[in-house]
Amino acid sequence: MSLTEQRPSAVSAALAKDRLGVPSVVFFVISAAAPLMVVAGSVPTAYAVTGVIGVPFAFLMLGAIFTLFAVGYVTMARHVVNAGAFYAYAAQGLGRTQGVATAWVALLAYNALQLGLYGIIGSAAEPLLLDWFGGSPAWWVIALVAWALTGLLGLLRVDVNGKILSVLLVSEIAVVLVFDIGDLLHAAPSGISFEGFTPGSLFVPGVGAALATVVAGFAGIESSVVFAEESKDRNRTVPLATYLGIAIIAVLYAISAWAQTVPTGPDGIVKAASEQGTELIFNQAAAHLGSAVSTIGSVLFVTSSMACMIAFHNTTARYIFALGRENVLPSVFGRTSARTAAPMAGSVLQTVLGLIVITVYAVFGLDPVTKLFFTFGAFGGLGLLTLLTVTSISVIVFFARNPSEETVWRTRVAPALAALALCVIIGMTLINFDTVLDVAPDAAIRWILPGIYVVAIILGVAWARVLKATRPEVYANIGLGAQAVSGGSK
Amino acid sequence: MHDSVTGRTRLHPRLASLGLAGAVISELMLAERATLDLASGQDRLYATSRDATGDPLTQSVLDHLIAEPQHPVATWLHFFARTIYADVTGRMIAAKLLKPPARHLLKQQPAAPVNTNTAAWPLARLNLSVERRKPPVIRDCVLFGLFVATGGAQRALREHDPAFAAATIAVLSAPLQKLIVQTQVAVGEAVISRR
Repeated sequence: MSLTEQRPSAVSAALAKDRLGVPSVVFFVISAAAPLMVVAGSVPTAYAVTGVIGVPFAFLMLGAIFTLFAVGYVTMARHVVNAGAFYAYAAQGLGRTQGVATAWVALLAYNALQLGLYGIIGSAAEPLLLDWFGGSPAWWVIALVAWALTGLLGLLRVDVNGKILSVLLVSEIAVVLVFDIGDLLHAAPSGISFEGFTPGSLFVPGVGAALATVVAGFAGIESSVVFAEESKDRNRTVPLATYLGIAIIAVLYAISAWAQTVPTGPDGIVKAASEQGTELIFNQAAAHLGSAVSTIGSVLFVTSSMACMIAFHNTTARYIFALGRENVLPSVFGRTSARTAAPMAGSVLQTVLGLIVITVYAVFGLDPVTKLFFTFGAFGGLGLLTLLTVTSISVIVFFARNPSEETVWRTRVAPALAALALCVIIGMTLINFDTVLDVAPDAAIRWILPGIYVVAIILGVAWARVLKATRPEVYANIGLGAQAVSGGSK
Repeated sequence: MHDSVTGRTRLHPRLASLGLAGAVISELMLAERATLDLASGQDRLYATSRDATGDPLTQSVLDHLIAEPQHPVATWLHFFARTIYADVTGRMIAAKLLKPPARHLLKQQPAAPVNTNTAAWPLARLNLSVERRKPPVIRDCVLFGLFVATGGAQRALREHDPAFAAATIAVLSAPLQKLIVQTQVAVGEAVISRR
């Protein structure tokens, strides 16, 4: 290091002012995970569809696994470019071909998570509309309004403003906690039971389905490393924010999932969740705390779902943009909307897919919550699990090839343990995929849906081979994201 | 980049700022006051001459480069992009190219061109050269390159021909080409970034 570099630099100082600290990154990360949407939407649906009482334990267990995963993940983020994208890890760890296959899986998974959200917005808004106007349109009308809003904001590149996001997030968490306290103070006659926290209540038939949903609840946490370049101290801010985010999510969701079972008792929760669906926690809150608190909760449920939708829309659009920039997708996807600085083509593609899904579900009269929100969520969760596993393996291979001063725990042990645990969860999810879809165990569809990922992987590998043979200069840049145009030098 | 009559921007301010930062750096490079150190792989931007530039804006940019020669060009692009929009507007108002921004009934009007023809002329030159498929003078090649890098060319030019754009940029010296590529990277990152 030369002497000049040790002098305080006016340039670095000025740029550092705009950088993000730990709280900002945590806010960004958790808001994509949308606490109230998970607690009010995913959790009761998981109880109802899977019949598993051990959902609270599942959150804690997956929190632990995510933490293990994050150890290697944030370590590698210090050493690679385009750290925000899973496929970049695979490309730079396992090889470019695997990178493209991972990119395909990621596109599918994120799309599924985003599209599934159109199924929940209707049931989030319906009770409010009924309450205020005495009537409510069909779910798909509400979904279309949300769809139009998301598509428009995506094109205008309106990310929900950081300050608004923090206010919403803090209110959401506050409401969730108040609801929890209300539940705890009104325990079932049989008393407070901690059954939901016992492993035995989770590892029952249907466990895999519950796990896939719970994984989807953590989706968004992986975005923390996107901020590596923009954080105050990339060696400290991002890891700290990631661990903090995982801890907050795991504990908050576990407690809230458990609190829902307290008024009904563990035996009654599945029945209550089946009957009341996403209104369960608001009905509980209305009974315990009065309708005003419940209404505030319902409003935040809608805003939470919207914020989550916009976050996922933009994440996916950016993913598509990065791939377009690398020419892995047609370069039209790498084009910027010059006026709004939005990743235009990716955003439009998202919007079109949204319309198709909403239309299909509306025309065939399929249930939006269990068939769209839950199925797509679990499908996306399965993809996310695959991505996490591949990423963990990539971390191990990357550090085996590029020795560094990082500890063995970070580069080998933790990623290996994470990969192992994730593989087990994927196995359990696949075994229970009939429960996820609510079909007979021998129905073909339970193998077709996971099979889509296999097809995506095969197509990805094939496409990578084509690129390697016909456009080696494009192949060489896979995994570099926006850096691809510069050939990777920084 | 702006409407030649109203002065309204056609490009997102953040992208426009990165493009302007690239433009001011390229001014210094064309005037042989600064260049890129390509050998190090870091694309370090440093001053090659301490001669006064005769213009407050480029002089202040050059002074920054002289004070801290260790930064890669990407860092400088982000650094100058913070303030460059206002700086360039100020320079153009001082040069009587723009009318100062006026306030009409609570609504801030952007600084509008004094002479519409002068304002429209650079874009017309680029349109003309694309039409004839003939690379323009070096200065305009840089402008064209940066215009493509920010995504403005695809929007504002009458026709956009990626092959011709690549050929035009290839005319430039290696450091200038690198500057354009780094501007494009910065723009791509700005699009991906969540803020």
